[in-house]
Amino acid sequence: MAYSAAVLDRVRNPQRVGVLPDAPEVGTGEAGSMDAGTFARIQVRVEQGRIVAARFKVFGCSAAIAATGLVAEWLEGASLAEAGLVTPERVVQHLQLPEERVHVAAVAVDAARHAVRDAGEKAGRTS
Amino acid sequence: MIYLDHHATTPVDPRVFEAMRPYFTEVFGNASSRTHRAGWQAHDAVEKARKQAAALMGADAREVIFTSGATEANHLAIAGVAAAAPPDRRHVVTLVTEHKSVLAPVARLVESGWQVTELAVPPGGIVEAGAVAAAVGPQTALVTAMLAHNEIGVVQPLAEIVHIAHAHGALVHTDAVQALGKLPVDVHALGVDLASFSAHKLYGPKGVGALFVRRGVEKRVRPVVTGGEQERGLRGGTLNVPGIVGFGAACAVASGEIADEAARLEGLRDRLWAGLRERVGEVSLNGAMAPRLPGNLNVHVAGVEGETLLLGLTEIAVSSGAACLSAEPSHALLALGLPRDAALSSLRFGLGRGTTAEDVDQAVTHVAEVVGHLRAMAPAARASAGVRG
Repeated sequence: MAYSAAVLDRVRNPQRVGVLPDAPEVGTGEAGSMDAGTFARIQVRVEQGRIVAARFKVFGCSAAIAATGLVAEWLEGASLAEAGLVTPERVVQHLQLPEERVHVAAVAVDAARHAVRDAGEKAGRTS
Repeated sequence: MIYLDHHATTPVDPRVFEAMRPYFTEVFGNASSRTHRAGWQAHDAVEKARKQAAALMGADAREVIFTSGATEANHLAIAGVAAAAPPDRRHVVTLVTEHKSVLAPVARLVESGWQVTELAVPPGGIVEAGAVAAAVGPQTALVTAMLAHNEIGVVQPLAEIVHIAHAHGALVHTDAVQALGKLPVDVHALGVDLASFSAHKLYGPKGVGALFVRRGVEKRVRPVVTGGEQERGLRGGTLNVPGIVGFGAACAVASGEIADEAARLEGLRDRLWAGLRERVGEVSLNGAMAPRLPGNLNVHVAGVEGETLLLGLTEIAVSSGAACLSAEPSHALLALGLPRDAALSSLRFGLGRGTTAEDVDQAVTHVAEVVGHLRAMAPAARASAGVRG
């Protein structure tokens, strides 16, 4: 598998791996499954409509690790509206993912969308 | 980088390299040139190497046919026997765990209407004699089974297989590539009719190997590479003199060292296994522990994805449970009953002549670091809150 430097760098030196402690402003989303070989969990902390922190955990191939890390990077600092601009196509293009691996981008983005939605729902409940 | 992939290939031993050196620019004759000294010298060098190789494998020199490697030897054995077989014998028996260079020529026979039985193996990887007996019959031309496995290192019961096959008049071929120089190999004692060998697995050069053809059996093998009378008419083509000299020298070097080296490698292999169990944890062995090649270890590492693990192991050279660098798991590991993702997160270690205890300890440390890093990235069991996709 020939991976781009963008992928390899994110595998060797991942940023934002971790967890955010459970809190009203923290949303969590997951996608994929261990059985399927790709499983991503993303958490976001939202303050005043902006994602101030994003963390991820992932099990899967190098493409999956890079994709989830990239998504977390894009989420951090973004407004909730901007978060919606993160798409699998963008991830694939940025990482130059090989054909056999493009599906992992969808898993990472799904996890992100669920996390953002979860944060939104929790905010809705407390407001 | 610590090289721990000696089943893939080995470095040429300096003693072998020195033996080969004159045969490029000084003694460069064609071994088939009968009319001058340049040819005779080359011929003599080849015959000396033939004796050295024969000695290590327990054969007579005249039973050794040099080839371009084991893949070619496998093809000569399988296609060659098939082409010469009588019309009432159109059946071959092999194992699902065989190397692709055996399975490929076997598959080609199916295209010409042959029947093939590919025997399954139990999780330990060692074929049951009963299964072989049930498969072999009067229509069987050939049984082919690898002596020592290139991935999981286990050793097949060839003597029993020979007994069964010969009772039905079938020939037996073994791909003995991984065994030569690591375990005592005696083709006469085993009783096999044909056996394939490769120089670059025992600190010799790449591009040269041999097929052992038991005396009398040569009439039952039709040559594949024709057009020259070399190698008793069984394999045409100008001989790779320096390569053959290297092969012979590698055999001579190995023969003095097998028992001691096997003990040393087993000790190191056991050290590696103990280290991985203790410092990496959640590792399991693929294939039975014995009988097994002394320097081989094939392990499944839980909780990490194989390709990422391989990419992360930058300080050691090992191979994975994938076929080359494809995403496909090794057919042999799958045949042991390993699930697909377990095959992909398996590592094959092949320790060798140059491997030291320090190498092993450093490898364990490195693997533990990389695995730890990857396991820390993986989600723990289900999060307590959140939306699931």
